[in-house]
Amino acid sequence: MKSAQFLRVVLGAYIVLFFAYLFGPLILMSITAFNSSEFPRVTPWDCFSTDWFNVLVEDKRIMTGLRNSIIIGFGVVCLSVPIGLAAAMMLTQVGRRMKSFFYTVVVSPILVPGVVLGISTLIFWDRLGTMFDASYNSVFYNGIFLSILGQSTFVSAYCMLVFTARLQRFDPVQEEAALDLGATNAQAFVKILLPFLKPAIGSAAVMAFLASFENYNTTIFTIVSESTLTTVLASKVRFGINPSISALAVIIVVLTLICAIIHEAMKRQEARRAQAAKDERVVADYASVGRFATSPWGIVLLVFLAGLGTIWLATRYDTASCKMRLQDERQLRLEQSTPSTPAVTPGAATPGTTTPSTTTPTTTPSGSEPAAKPYQGIFAPQNLDQVAPKDEGEAAPAGEGKSDGESKPYQGIFAPQNLDNVAPKSD
Amino acid sequence: MALTAWFQHFFKKNGIVLSIYLMSAVLLWMVIMIILPQVFMLDFSFRFNLPPGKIGGEEDVYTISNYRFLLFGSPGNPDPYNVIDTTVFFRTILAAIFVTVFDLLLCYPIAYALAIVAKGGTARLMVLSLIVPFWINEILRAFAFRILFGSSGVINTVGMTLGLWDTPFDFIKADIALYAGLGYAYILLMIFPIYNAMESLDRNQLEAARDLGAQWWRIHWRIVIPFSKPGIASGCTMVFMLSAGALAAPQILGGPSSLWFTQIIYQWFNTGGNWPRGSAYAIVLLAVCILFVLFMMRVFKVRIGEIGR
Amino acid sequence: MSVDVKLEDVWVRFGSFTAVKNANVTIRGGEFFSFLGPSGCGKTTLLRCISGFQEPTDGKILFDGKNMAGIGPNKRPTALIFQNLALFPLMSVADNIAFGLEVRGIGKAQRRKKADELLDLIALPGQGDKKVGELSGGQKQRVAIARALAVEPEILLLDEPLSALDLKLRQHMRTELREIQKRVGITFIYITHDQGEALTMSDRVAVMSEGVIEQVADSVTLYDRPEKPFVASFVGENNDFRGRVTSVSEGYAEVETSEGLFRGRVSEGNRDALSGSGPASIFVRPEALKIAGTATEASNAFEANLLQEEFEGNMRHLVLESKGGQRLRMTLVNDGHVLDYGPGSTVPVVFNPELAIVLPQEA
Repeated sequence: MKSAQFLRVVLGAYIVLFFAYLFGPLILMSITAFNSSEFPRVTPWDCFSTDWFNVLVEDKRIMTGLRNSIIIGFGVVCLSVPIGLAAAMMLTQVGRRMKSFFYTVVVSPILVPGVVLGISTLIFWDRLGTMFDASYNSVFYNGIFLSILGQSTFVSAYCMLVFTARLQRFDPVQEEAALDLGATNAQAFVKILLPFLKPAIGSAAVMAFLASFENYNTTIFTIVSESTLTTVLASKVRFGINPSISALAVIIVVLTLICAIIHEAMKRQEARRAQAAKDERVVADYASVGRFATSPWGIVLLVFLAGLGTIWLATRYDTASCKMRLQDERQLRLEQSTPSTPAVTPGAATPGTTTPSTTTPTTTPSGSEPAAKPYQGIFAPQNLDQVAPKDEGEAAPAGEGKSDGESKPYQGIFAPQNLDNVAPKSD
Repeated sequence: MALTAWFQHFFKKNGIVLSIYLMSAVLLWMVIMIILPQVFMLDFSFRFNLPPGKIGGEEDVYTISNYRFLLFGSPGNPDPYNVIDTTVFFRTILAAIFVTVFDLLLCYPIAYALAIVAKGGTARLMVLSLIVPFWINEILRAFAFRILFGSSGVINTVGMTLGLWDTPFDFIKADIALYAGLGYAYILLMIFPIYNAMESLDRNQLEAARDLGAQWWRIHWRIVIPFSKPGIASGCTMVFMLSAGALAAPQILGGPSSLWFTQIIYQWFNTGGNWPRGSAYAIVLLAVCILFVLFMMRVFKVRIGEIGR
Repeated sequence: MSVDVKLEDVWVRFGSFTAVKNANVTIRGGEFFSFLGPSGCGKTTLLRCISGFQEPTDGKILFDGKNMAGIGPNKRPTALIFQNLALFPLMSVADNIAFGLEVRGIGKAQRRKKADELLDLIALPGQGDKKVGELSGGQKQRVAIARALAVEPEILLLDEPLSALDLKLRQHMRTELREIQKRVGITFIYITHDQGEALTMSDRVAVMSEGVIEQVADSVTLYDRPEKPFVASFVGENNDFRGRVTSVSEGYAEVETSEGLFRGRVSEGNRDALSGSGPASIFVRPEALKIAGTATEASNAFEANLLQEEFEGNMRHLVLESKGGQRLRMTLVNDGHVLDYGPGSTVPVVFNPELAIVLPQEA
């Protein structure tokens, strides 16, 4: 018995560690969004600041990417939900031997690397475009169109699995009953099957949107000359990072939490309603205060209030003066120290990260001609070494910790041009 | 004959409108979105890299030069084979296997706790807290690890404050950040298949085994693991496939000396400007993944339907 | 108003499996007709052919002489009550009942009116806004009937609709179904494996076995004058003595069995099959077996060993073993007499040839 208890404790401790691994990085990242430091970090803590959110909102590339991501997301939902539904229904109707072939084909996109799907979609439409002599402005080379198709290839499979699971609980006799009562096939589908599938359609649509929204591996190939939020983020993260990305992460984390809580709330309410219907009596103390505070809706409200509180705190807290103070302190320390510590200005540190802008993923696929590209011979060993310092350069800005902001008296005003230093310009 | 009968039956059962919808949606997906692109990619990988004007011309013939390049490099290559690309390839495969094993060890206890030990509300809360981090963008998750493992990141700060080491340790160069990030990225895909398989395990079996005096590890080895085999196979397949095909995490967290195979493919398409060669590399990656899936199906004796779930 | 249903040489095959073999039967308009048989005998397949969910592989189905081939279930004047009822769980009771009208494009007010009427008919007035899940088993049953009746079918098909109910409710619903049938006056075609249901409700019953319709008759005839060994042993209980025919005469035949030479009735239809000395069975109901001495019959007597007595209040069931080792059941009405025989004792048994049926057996 003792050893069982011991095992339980070990398992419990492991679970705690595991969830620390799961949430730790996200929490730390969220915290960095509120540090005024140029580089996303928790320690040393400079000043509490919400400026990075302004930087984020003013970033045109991120906003364009966000817009494209949303368009693509909707496109994927509109394409993959009907396809997934049709495939799930088809699965129930084909014979056994046909079924296993069909299933293998349609499930394969899940078991194939995303890059392969992206590449094959890109090539297929590029070849078609060549065959039809289409211009580069045509749909064959349109990044948004290609991304919708490429992502839908595997998102449809997810949707199909959702529908298949739901359809397994559908009693096909219901459809027969509808037909028997005189409904046409279409009527039976619309009035009986669709209402039954409604929850599954909802969750498939949400899942499709999320899968599309966060997809990178497929999109990076199919997006061609456009950009999505994910590709913009990736290029930003690869070529110099700043806490505005953390700020975006905070927004997404909060949105995710709220969605999760609402989802949980709706589930509980449904369960409670079902219970109430079973009991056939009205639950009177439904809206009692104590219950509300612990109910998911209460938690949503609390999260919302906490958000408002943060904003209020931000307006009251004078970030600019804190930064000024910090800067003075640094100036002082710098003057006291010997000039042996070379003062690296951020201006000098960041350009290093902008150099690889020629390799941004937004390079147009204007052709497959082997024209001279800067990294053509990238696989020669010596060239690899050339690439390497770039990566070290990415990690390097950490070293600039103590000198950041030194030459910038107006740090509080995060003008876009400041950002432009960090973000690689697309060509 | 049987096919026309089937079509007749199909149309009769669903009516014209519904039949057309089902047929066209499924055909669009299967043919235009899945099969044809793969066929075109395969075809393209056997062609020379020609400028647009020459495509379809007389120079546009089949070649295996792209595959040969992966193995032997360019004709002027002094080495007997393409050292860089093949090294990257095998390192990617090995690293993906490593990540898979890491995730399996990491997730098995959690899946067990979730399926067997935890009850009602706790289990639901755990499931929810497992899912929530995975609604957050893949790039942002990698970014979080970048912050965590950076030279002025939390781990270095804490380690140095505690006096464990005194100069910032470069976790990124040592690939620790990459493995931690990749392992993190696919936790969910390992836990849920195992959890689904384990959940249907009859708890009485465990009671009985315990009653017969079996130690905990024997219970796992003889009862729980064999029972959750399809889930383990499914989880491992997914994690392997996704790590081998990962692009974002290696780009963001990869050390300077450790290129991922997908990065090479990406460079052929992007800066390298040689799509046929990129296709050939992608085909190789695809083949490895298919082989791995077949291997898992063989070893664990599961069907593809069980893996896809 | 009501419609004749005629099955002409109907065959249904699924691959190599034949579900229905050469079914020929005419169901008269306004009749309560049952198909009775064990599960897998093809009765549900026949019902699906009549309702239009299944096309016969061969043969014709005629409604008032009109061939129904190629006409879908939604175009036939039939309504089917499914085994699991198949009520639509996402709709209210009234919407369920009015579904058939809704798909015919009938306006909302009129639908509601019809639903209310039918709710009155099935004794659930004012319950139209309830969810299906809130109803009890018997109420669901009645809603399913109302939903089928709402489309004013000419033939109502019922596929074991009572099998999910408990015994009490099942017996109650039998009476109710019969009453509804009388009230609406349309043809009811009822599928069941429960002979009690079939015999109590139906005007006529078709007994099916392995895809073949064995006999079509009213309940009394089925019980007293079975034409086939399957019917004799499936409908009610029967003791089956096997042997060979020794002689056939006017309405009677003699069979040599291991217990002796027994005499029983022979129907017109079976007479030819029994001439010659082919294998045959003589079927005697448990209530037709008597203890000698209390009855007067001289022929058809034999002795058997009493194994066990089951007392049921109004009845006594005796389990006997004949000399030839055959298990027999005898049912005696409890008329106040004390039984003279205890377990283990030998009982002299007789039966009346009028109540014994001789049927040919397959070789």
